[in-house]
Amino acid sequence: MDALFLAEVTLAGLGAGALYALTGVAFVLIYKATRVVNLAIGEILMLGGYAFLGFAAGLGLSPWLALPLAIAAGGALGWLVERALIRPMLGESPISVFMVTIGLGSILTGVVQLGWGADPLRLPEFMPSAPVFIGEAYLAPKVAIGFVAAAVVIGLFLALFRFSRGGVALKATAADQGAAYSVGIDVPRVFSVAWILACATAAGAGVLVGAIGGISPTMGVFGLSVLVVVIIGGLDSIAGALVGGLLIGLVEALAGAFLGGEFKLVVTFALLLVLLMVRPYGLFGTHEIERL
Amino acid sequence: MTKLIDRRQLLAGTAALAGALTLGVRPLAAQEGGDIVLGGSIPLTGVFAFAGVGIHAGIQDYLKILNDGGGIKGRKIKYVAEDTAYKVDASVAAFNKITGQEKVSLYYGDSTGFSKTINPELERRGSMIMAGASFATELNDPKKFPLQFMAGPDYTEMFGILLRYIAKEKPGARVAFVYSDSEFGRDPITPSEAVAKELKLSVVEKIVTPPGSVDVSTEVLKLRRANPDFTIFHGYVLAPIPEFVTQAKQMGMKSQFMGTFWTMDNSTVQRMGDAAEGFMGVMPYRYYYDKDGSSPMLEKIRQMRPEYQSTGYLQGFVTAMLMAEAVKRTLDAGKELTGANLKAGLNSIKDFDTGGLFGVPISIPGNSVPVGRIYRFDAKAKQMQPASDWIKL
Repeated sequence: MDALFLAEVTLAGLGAGALYALTGVAFVLIYKATRVVNLAIGEILMLGGYAFLGFAAGLGLSPWLALPLAIAAGGALGWLVERALIRPMLGESPISVFMVTIGLGSILTGVVQLGWGADPLRLPEFMPSAPVFIGEAYLAPKVAIGFVAAAVVIGLFLALFRFSRGGVALKATAADQGAAYSVGIDVPRVFSVAWILACATAAGAGVLVGAIGGISPTMGVFGLSVLVVVIIGGLDSIAGALVGGLLIGLVEALAGAFLGGEFKLVVTFALLLVLLMVRPYGLFGTHEIERL
Repeated sequence: MTKLIDRRQLLAGTAALAGALTLGVRPLAAQEGGDIVLGGSIPLTGVFAFAGVGIHAGIQDYLKILNDGGGIKGRKIKYVAEDTAYKVDASVAAFNKITGQEKVSLYYGDSTGFSKTINPELERRGSMIMAGASFATELNDPKKFPLQFMAGPDYTEMFGILLRYIAKEKPGARVAFVYSDSEFGRDPITPSEAVAKELKLSVVEKIVTPPGSVDVSTEVLKLRRANPDFTIFHGYVLAPIPEFVTQAKQMGMKSQFMGTFWTMDNSTVQRMGDAAEGFMGVMPYRYYYDKDGSSPMLEKIRQMRPEYQSTGYLQGFVTAMLMAEAVKRTLDAGKELTGANLKAGLNSIKDFDTGGLFGVPISIPGNSVPVGRIYRFDAKAKQMQPASDWIKL
């Protein structure tokens, strides 16, 4: 086997995996804090891509200004959704909340289609396009940038949970809401912050994903592949999303290179099946996760 | 011996028969000289909406021109469409609804899946012909799909046109096929390999990508190792072609990249950004802006709609035109508007001038119109420009 080819495929896989991991973190943040499986995360990611397009191409802003604005727009949407849709559902059955997020996804797809039409679009080029070579191995520049961005963001989140007061509050809320209330933690605010952070992350990931693959009203399906990642990693573990993302990216790349593209999904889902049998709560998930 | 039918049963039976006769006879009576209905399962939302919106407008515009000009023998064609979101079950529901409410003679279907699903019902009814957005090779079989047709070459014929061009430009060239793992994507691959062999081209790599995949880095690495002179994409609209081409160019690949009909819209290719330069593909129609030669129909379209219209629009427009021509020929022959008669009318189309929409006069011997031309994107003009003559298979 050609070692250089293997190295390049591995790099490509890790690059793709980083994007999975980043979006996975958005899933995990919400689930960890609020026990809601947010199936609209793919559509929020899509909205991030479109918001970036709106700011950069529509309003003609510099991409470097449009990027934080798109992320902020994602955060604002997260806040709104939590206050308007999710909080009134507190205490309802998890299935109802789950269905609300599915409905939200459909609505967002419709809104985007009303605003920008159904055509697939490309984001303005804003990343450096010089190819990256690690040794002799080629790595697509956007994939490399995506990898670095994902690594930085996930690193920040891990640090946040370990060292900041807000992070500790979130962890406490995740562990036991009643106890968190009793020590004075503002639980509804924690919920709100979790949604804002998660949706902002998803919007940022949307810009990265959109820069690579273009954007269209159907790009929300990316969220579904990420669902596999977080189930493998453990629904409530950020480190799990990271490991799961990289693992799935790598497995998909190797399967695509050596077995053929038609085996990518087969191998991924076979892995999911085996893993669920061995560790039903995911690689790093908490044991008592309530399954839907 | 017991009585076979008592009086009550006889009465009920007669009433039912009378009812059925009245109900059955009324639409027949209405058909004489009434509007002819073109039904449509149209994907106005969902993954195919980018084309569906254009198709919808194209059909409407052609029918407006036709009806404003007095229709066919004084009869107008009425267009009744429903949105399907490009889902087969929704398309079938739309078909049932529209055919339940109207006496439909012409139908536009939105996908290969729908065309295949509805075929037995189409044959059972025998009252209409159908065309649609699918150019699937499978549908181009008049024996299996006697009441269907497509307003252009099927996907294998599109590959055939591209491969003929390649064989002429660079005999013995190395060719790669990159396609999506979907019914649409897989359609022409196997038969096209045989065509390539006949033309003495070597297919050095076939790369399949899962539908909806975003990152194609691994696939580009495979493509680089195969080092083809020409790479044909099929089964996509836009993504992941731009990223594929960009990465391949960054790696220093010199392959010529090509696409098939649904990728070939001018605005779609423009959206590829830097990757668009030199992108080639096959198109059965002239582009909206094409002013070469005589194309009175394009001129009319440009008058009706001053802004650029997509290839989906042209496809809908041409499909409605060919359907109307089939109706005209059937009525001219004094025949009833049944599926078989309409199809016979359609198949009698020979060296027909579409007002310049197809660049050459066309014939429809079977279920397809095997004509096309190779276009290449010119980044300066921001337009697809002709790169070959019209190729007839």
